[in-house]
Amino acid sequence: MNALAAIGEALVLIGTFFYLLSALGLIRMPDVYNRMQTSTKSATLGSLGVMVGVGIWALGTDFGSAAWLTKTVVIAVFLLLTNPISAHALIRAAYKSGIPLWEGSVVDKYREHLEAGEKKKAETPEASEETPEEGGEE
Amino acid sequence: MLKRALAIISLLLIGYWIAQGLAGVPFGQDRMLVAQYYLDHVKEQTGAVNAVTAIVVNYRGFDTLGEVTVLFIASTGVGALLWRRKKQRTAKTEGSIVLTTGTRLLVPFVMLFGAYIFIHGHLTPGGGFPGGATIATAFLLLYMAFVQYEIPHKAFEKVEGAVGVSYVLVGLIGLAIGGYFLYDWIWQDWGFGVDNIGRLLSGGFIPIIYTIIGLKVGTELSGIIDNMLKEEVSE
Repeated sequence: MNALAAIGEALVLIGTFFYLLSALGLIRMPDVYNRMQTSTKSATLGSLGVMVGVGIWALGTDFGSAAWLTKTVVIAVFLLLTNPISAHALIRAAYKSGIPLWEGSVVDKYREHLEAGEKKKAETPEASEETPEEGGEE
Repeated sequence: MLKRALAIISLLLIGYWIAQGLAGVPFGQDRMLVAQYYLDHVKEQTGAVNAVTAIVVNYRGFDTLGEVTVLFIASTGVGALLWRRKKQRTAKTEGSIVLTTGTRLLVPFVMLFGAYIFIHGHLTPGGGFPGGATIATAFLLLYMAFVQYEIPHKAFEKVEGAVGVSYVLVGLIGLAIGGYFLYDWIWQDWGFGVDNIGRLLSGGFIPIIYTIIGLKVGTELSGIIDNMLKEEVSE
């Protein structure tokens, strides 16, 4: 066992530990938003650790090659790009469909923003309809 | 309550019956008759490293043609069922800016990966159907992220028809050259790529067929998505 394999094993261990943390967060947290917060972040980080770790691990073994590392890095980058977007879309859909925050939540700026926007829209309906903000900020 | 109990009991009985049937099957033992032949001869006979795609396209290409036909009929059926004179998207809200930007960034990569899958069907797992489904996923992403997106219908329908015809044409060329439908003339007669089995330029007509199938599946699934996401508008 050489240094590369050892680094890879350590990375895989760290990654699986973060997987465990994300599963724990899924059970432990009180509402959807907190659960998404814990699970997506640590699951993304855990996947990155596991994937890059496997690639480096393969470099250290006698049957592995650089193709492993390339493939795992490509998958890791793809996951790094897509996972936050999917989490964002899920959270946004959850909020839009009216899932309440945890009762211990203190501040909800987004609701204030939405209500301000509705008030503005009610006052000047034509102006706001003609210029729909990009990103659906309504 | 009674209904549910009866359903559970009958399902358990059916499950037990299937398990009884499966109990006689010797899993893990070498009982391969035809499969052993495939494994032994797949490289010399088809030039493909991936035995599954070799079987699907080469040994049993007729089934694949049938599957493509099924998909084509499904696409046509959806189109016929949801036919309206004037249709439009019903999406009320645009996806958030994170989603649209991410989609813009990711769609080319998804399409590239889909093309990678179906071009390398004879080397790596996958083939035309997963590759085509991946390409359709890219179009689904575009549909989901943008209020007004529409696949280029003219090009799509033409590609769909042309690749379907070219699959049959490849088979008919085989019939003309080798004597039976879907005969792999590129491999059997030309011996194209005999020296580089395991590289891209090998595998007889499997890459060609899979490019055709990938394009066909991609365009058809995108067409189904397009049909299902639209609603009639009153003029």
